[in-house]
Amino acid sequence: MEGFVAHQLHEFETGKLSRRALIETLTLAATTLYATGAKAQADATLKAQLVNHISYTCPEYRPAADWYSKVFNLDQIGASGRDVAMPMGKKGEKPYGVTSDDVPLPHLIVRNPDRAGGGTRTRPTSAAVIDHFALTVADFNRDRARAELTALGVKNIRDGGPRSLHMDDFYGYDVQICGLENNALTDG
Amino acid sequence: MERFIAGLVRDFESGKVDRREFCKTIALAATVYAAGDAAEAQPARGFKVLGVNHISYTCPDYTRARDFLINVFGLESAPGHDTGARANLMFGPQPGKGGSFIVTRNPAAGGSKPVSEAYIDHFCFTLSNWDEARVRAAMKAKGPEISGGRPGSLHVLDPYNYDIQFANIIEENAFKR
Repeated sequence: MEGFVAHQLHEFETGKLSRRALIETLTLAATTLYATGAKAQADATLKAQLVNHISYTCPEYRPAADWYSKVFNLDQIGASGRDVAMPMGKKGEKPYGVTSDDVPLPHLIVRNPDRAGGGTRTRPTSAAVIDHFALTVADFNRDRARAELTALGVKNIRDGGPRSLHMDDFYGYDVQICGLENNALTDG
Repeated sequence: MERFIAGLVRDFESGKVDRREFCKTIALAATVYAAGDAAEAQPARGFKVLGVNHISYTCPDYTRARDFLINVFGLESAPGHDTGARANLMFGPQPGKGGSFIVTRNPAAGGSKPVSEAYIDHFCFTLSNWDEARVRAAMKAKGPEISGGRPGSLHVLDPYNYDIQFANIIEENAFKR
């Protein structure tokens, strides 16, 4: 990192780099390339790193998206009139626990049914179903979360074991909420 | 960060910090930035989402979906959590440190959940270090045919014809819509 900075500084001092370019380059380097360290990427080609997105189809995406914004503070990005992306974090943030530079924040895509998948492909009927999904939230406490959800007007809040709660979203879809302590080694 | 660096450049130009100190400070700032904790305080209302905890996938025989996800996408079955009716398949960071999992399960005895007008029509995994030719060749070697998509964002159907997408950060990124 220091060698890189020294080189950029030299470029600036010799007039090859503007002041603005120097600041932007160093900012980018400090927050991305060098922020993760030089950890080798030894993952297999198809190894899943994280959920990229969950595609949620419903009769009218707007009220569903508004529900997720209200309850989970998710921003709405790129609304198209038929769908919207709802990233789990702010622009520039990395997913929680991830150091790699090429793993984006997971997001929901909430969409109308007419163009599910965003293309012209048609999906075959599946014998499988995603019956619910769970979101990890910071500082989860079940009693506090129940009170907060109640205050927000969320319907059908019920226990999901000792470490989580289930609820119905705007369309009655089952959404679970939990903290980091609910994970693959503790759930079920 | 940008404001901090701009101030440092100003200090360098005015002679308040020397060249060596400038370089060291930038390097230190990068290290501190990397150590930042994403688990910030809860917002005033609602919750701060850290990520997807898990996806619950119900199908006629969970072992077929389990084996597919392990063999194709490298998920790992959580030790002691394959019950004969379900399995927890881990991926990403360590459990409890941001990792996610997919529960593949048989249908619950005694009925199903109330029907919702909403449904999850597909989900997508992020792959790292994406190389188009390598990804396509690896999938071909695993067996499933690529069922659609575009470079950098592809789909396959699992044993139950459920649509699973896999993509890189360029093609599937909420902020690049």
